[in-house]
Amino acid sequence: MGLSPFRRAGSLSKPAASNSSEPTGRSSSLKNRSVIFGLLAALFLFAIGCTKDGMSTWDAYGPVAQKQLDLFNVLLWVMVAVFFLVEGALLYAIIRYRKRPGQPKPPQIHGNTTLEVTLTIIPTILVLGLGIWSVFTLFDLQDPDPDGPTPLHVNVTAHQWWFEFEYPDAGNGKKIITANELRIPVDRPITLQLESDDVIHSFWVPKLAGKLDMVPTRKNNMWFQADSDKIDDELPVTLYGQCAELCGIAHALMRFRVTVMEQAGFDSWAAAYGPPPTNSAKAKAGQQLFAANCTLCHTIDGPDDPALSASRLTGFLTGGDITPVPAPNLTDLRTRSTLAAGIIDLSETSLRDWLRNPEDIKAGNYMSERAVLYQNGAASLTDEEIDALIGYLLDLP
Amino acid sequence: MTTVDHKRIAILYGVTAFIFLLIGGLEAGVIRMQLASADNDLIGAGRFNEMFTMHATTMVFMVIMPLGVSFFNFVIPLAIGARDVAFPRLNALSFWIFLFGAVLMHMSFVVNQVPDAGWFSYANLTEKPFSPNRGLDFWSISLLVMGVASVAGALNFIVTIINMRAPGMTFMRMPVFVWMTLITSILLVLAFPVITVGLIELTLDRNFGTHFFIPAEGGDPILWQHLFWIFGHPEVYILILPPMGIVSEILPTFSRKPLFGYPFVVFSGIVIGIMGWAVWSHHMFTVGLGPVANSVFTITTMLIAVPTGVKIFNWIGTLWKGAIEFTTPMLFALGFVALFIIGGLSGVSHAVSPSDFQQQDTYYIVAHIHYVLFGGSMFGIFAGAYYWFPKITGRMMDETIGKINFWLIFIGMNLTFFPMHFLGLNGMPRRIYTYSAELGWENLNRIASFGYIVLFVGILVFIYNILKARNSRRVSHDPWDAPGLEWSIASPPPAYNFAEIPQIQGRDHYWIVKEKAEAAGTPITEPEALVDPSSIHMPSPSYWPIFTAVGVTLIGGGLLSHYALSFVGGVIAMMGVIGWSNEPAAAPSDHH
Amino acid sequence: MAHAVEQEYTTTGLNHRKLLMWVFLGSDCLFFASLIATYMVYRGQSLVGPYPNDIIDVPVTTISTFVLLMSSFAMVQALAATNADNRKATINWLLATALLGSIFIGFQIVEFNTFKNEGLTLGGNLFGASFFTLTGFHGAHVTLGIIWLLALAILGMKGRINSKTALDVELCGLYWHFVDIVWIVIFTLLYLIAGFDVGPVAIPGG
Repeated sequence: MGLSPFRRAGSLSKPAASNSSEPTGRSSSLKNRSVIFGLLAALFLFAIGCTKDGMSTWDAYGPVAQKQLDLFNVLLWVMVAVFFLVEGALLYAIIRYRKRPGQPKPPQIHGNTTLEVTLTIIPTILVLGLGIWSVFTLFDLQDPDPDGPTPLHVNVTAHQWWFEFEYPDAGNGKKIITANELRIPVDRPITLQLESDDVIHSFWVPKLAGKLDMVPTRKNNMWFQADSDKIDDELPVTLYGQCAELCGIAHALMRFRVTVMEQAGFDSWAAAYGPPPTNSAKAKAGQQLFAANCTLCHTIDGPDDPALSASRLTGFLTGGDITPVPAPNLTDLRTRSTLAAGIIDLSETSLRDWLRNPEDIKAGNYMSERAVLYQNGAASLTDEEIDALIGYLLDLP
Repeated sequence: MTTVDHKRIAILYGVTAFIFLLIGGLEAGVIRMQLASADNDLIGAGRFNEMFTMHATTMVFMVIMPLGVSFFNFVIPLAIGARDVAFPRLNALSFWIFLFGAVLMHMSFVVNQVPDAGWFSYANLTEKPFSPNRGLDFWSISLLVMGVASVAGALNFIVTIINMRAPGMTFMRMPVFVWMTLITSILLVLAFPVITVGLIELTLDRNFGTHFFIPAEGGDPILWQHLFWIFGHPEVYILILPPMGIVSEILPTFSRKPLFGYPFVVFSGIVIGIMGWAVWSHHMFTVGLGPVANSVFTITTMLIAVPTGVKIFNWIGTLWKGAIEFTTPMLFALGFVALFIIGGLSGVSHAVSPSDFQQQDTYYIVAHIHYVLFGGSMFGIFAGAYYWFPKITGRMMDETIGKINFWLIFIGMNLTFFPMHFLGLNGMPRRIYTYSAELGWENLNRIASFGYIVLFVGILVFIYNILKARNSRRVSHDPWDAPGLEWSIASPPPAYNFAEIPQIQGRDHYWIVKEKAEAAGTPITEPEALVDPSSIHMPSPSYWPIFTAVGVTLIGGGLLSHYALSFVGGVIAMMGVIGWSNEPAAAPSDHH
Repeated sequence: MAHAVEQEYTTTGLNHRKLLMWVFLGSDCLFFASLIATYMVYRGQSLVGPYPNDIIDVPVTTISTFVLLMSSFAMVQALAATNADNRKATINWLLATALLGSIFIGFQIVEFNTFKNEGLTLGGNLFGASFFTLTGFHGAHVTLGIIWLLALAILGMKGRINSKTALDVELCGLYWHFVDIVWIVIFTLLYLIAGFDVGPVAIPGG
């Protein structure tokens, strides 16, 4: 699983890197130096080249990513073989046939049809073989195994610059809408329908599956699954995702997380999904502040009302200074681990910084631009008010 | 300003494009410095988007294409035995429109409304609500203006190559570079109208209230992608075929052997030119066109690797059993082959759509395009610059500095772009201005940024070498003992090129001529004798091309500022055309 | 047929300018093909009216199409007269071609105006956008052709058009016939085939 492609890829990177010594052959000292340089560079790249960090494609956690990786690994082997063959031939020709003093004019060969035809047919067969195999993979990955576990369906909507996740039925018919953190049960296929509210985005969790664009006017479908036997760490495990299509100024800051959980953990999260409690006076104050300042765009009492979402979208597309825009659902904010589309860890401090001046953390965000609160830059709220809001949102004692 | 001589226009193109290369290169530098460390805030997101947009737009439309055109201009008439191109004044017009269009594009920096939606400018991010400033208007209108220049230039070269070959130069005796120019020009003439329509629709959307790419009104942003890539993929071959032609001239010269498998090299070029129209959707594998479309484009894209491979085999076949001399142009040509193999191979891996789902829009693709466009196109262009420099100026560039230049660029290029393969596979998306340290991308980015510095020094060495060459020794007309017709005349060539139009005796004409002379005991040491220029009718200089170009550019500029300006531009262009058609051209060929 | 005095050597025997014109027309083909493709992709995709059936008037446009076709006939006559060195007939036929072209443009102006009054605008819906863009660029081509024809007619009056310079007329003719043929394609697709679309229609794959 995870480790083997890593090791394979690492060792393969070596010859490719040493290419920097390719067309030498003038003087032997130069050649030697280049070879040494190439080897050093190769070793260096080998050491740091392939990682299994958060976004790595070398570390598949599920069948979709694994099959894509398998295909790539085979391609890589073929590429490396061809690389050695062709660059080897090139290097050999360069060294072997360099001009020697007093050498007569070389034979004037114009070509060799048999050789040409052979060298056309061999690669044709090779690429057709790979091509046909990839077509099989393509169709194979189209849908999850119909005989497997029942898939969990999620609708994903991209917004500038955050992701909205809607579970039409997260269990027992409960509908959930959340943002920027997708929770999925392990060993169960997840089917996703991808849409966009504004411009083109792309949905990508490298460890689970390759990307698929999120296009306005289009509903794209994909699926993936996290397999427990491919995950070494204890669940829940958090994976990285990121928008992969340029979508405007905060494109680099449009990230998200996928948390793989045991089915039981997922169920209890789903059951607990609901507005934050208002047991203390401070929380009640926070609730009132929220209602007064935030509800034009944010929903906190369960899934968004579709009509309200539609009117927010209209507001967004119409533009203007103070119009409602679609914004992340905050019902379960207190259970999330990140803030502002996965760019910073969620804590009391980070939430305070964010509420004071979101522009400092995420340049270009629509909260700073459109909300009344931020029309003069920093929030027009007192520290106490911000504290109350934080207490309410995070359900702090 | 009024010249119509193809050799001078070539130099104008070359110098202009080289200046844009420096501009685009500096933009790349800003990008590399920003990405050199995690969570860097050297420049903001907005600036960063502008930088990569202008870097790519500049490099594609204002550097590699015009550098290619510069070689077309200088070499084609000389290589086919003509005194000039078919329409010298149209040629001048192309240059001036290109220059003004490029300047117009860069005016966006002056008003600080720079295009920022990528060189592909995917709709609907490019629509008014998401890109409210004039940046994308600058982008689309300047590209429209430059498109006129490209198409006019390409028309000119098609006619020149088909119609102005010296007697005896049949199609199958044409140098490969001429062939590649012909194919490139045909691609240009057919591909540019498609992007023109896309750009017109974008401009209408942004300025005249249409909804071609606005989903809320029924428009489909994917249509833009189709229009863009139906143009964009042939465009890729427009960028790589001319350098392939250059390399196919240089490898035989310094191996002292004719090109191996000439007909195969030519036909593979033609096949690439045709198949290039059937692969565009491989840029769109992740759009969600469905498994059937993705399968079809996977297969066609895989197949286009075959003619490309054929070329590489033939280049190696040319070296085989040769007597290879390691001059600077040869080093760059060999570098081209070595690096293009890498670019080609990585290309195969994302031709396979399931594998591409992971690689699309990552640094793996960035690595790939730079191996083919820098390792490929730019190396071919450097090779050509070193190769034809003595013909252009009559002087040599320094070979020692040339080799330093080569190694700096070669090493810098690999240091910069090789790590990007790993970055992409480690999951780094393109076009992000910042990344967090926990994702493990920092070291590789640092190497890439360091490589950029090496590369940059390499380019400075090139400039130094050119400046230094002003005082270097004069060389003979044929310093490389080359096979091409262009080497039979004096360096620099006289305005009329050939005193007498030569009779072509075969492929590698000048080698044949020299060999015959040697066999006859009278080796050729002198170029064709100069004659009194007044005995040959050459086109006279004309200021109508630049006048008309001003008009055409003003039409575009007016769309950006005030429509009245467009009207003035239209009037000027019209006056230019009238003046043009009334002006007697000394050349027998005249453009209406 | 071309310059008698200085007919230069060309490899193929084809005149440079004629070859240029042919290749240019090839390029222009792709231009119109892309515009037509846009129209066809957006056929029936408009969310609001007016739809083609509401406003397209096939009989009237049939007349203007006929006029344009006749102009091609006049163009052929103009070239024949040029080759025959019949200066007066040349000028007359050139002017006739330009006149018929102008009538076509007149029809188009009236049509555009009517459509606008009936609510079809560039920004109204996709039908309007793609229709006006396509036919507008065609109209611009025709207008350019008319200016060219008039310029030739003026040259003819100055006595500079004769069988030795017939290529000038021939090139204009090539262009003119091309623009005509494009119109026939547009007329077939936009009027005869798509002209009766009522509201959004399902397009295979659309």
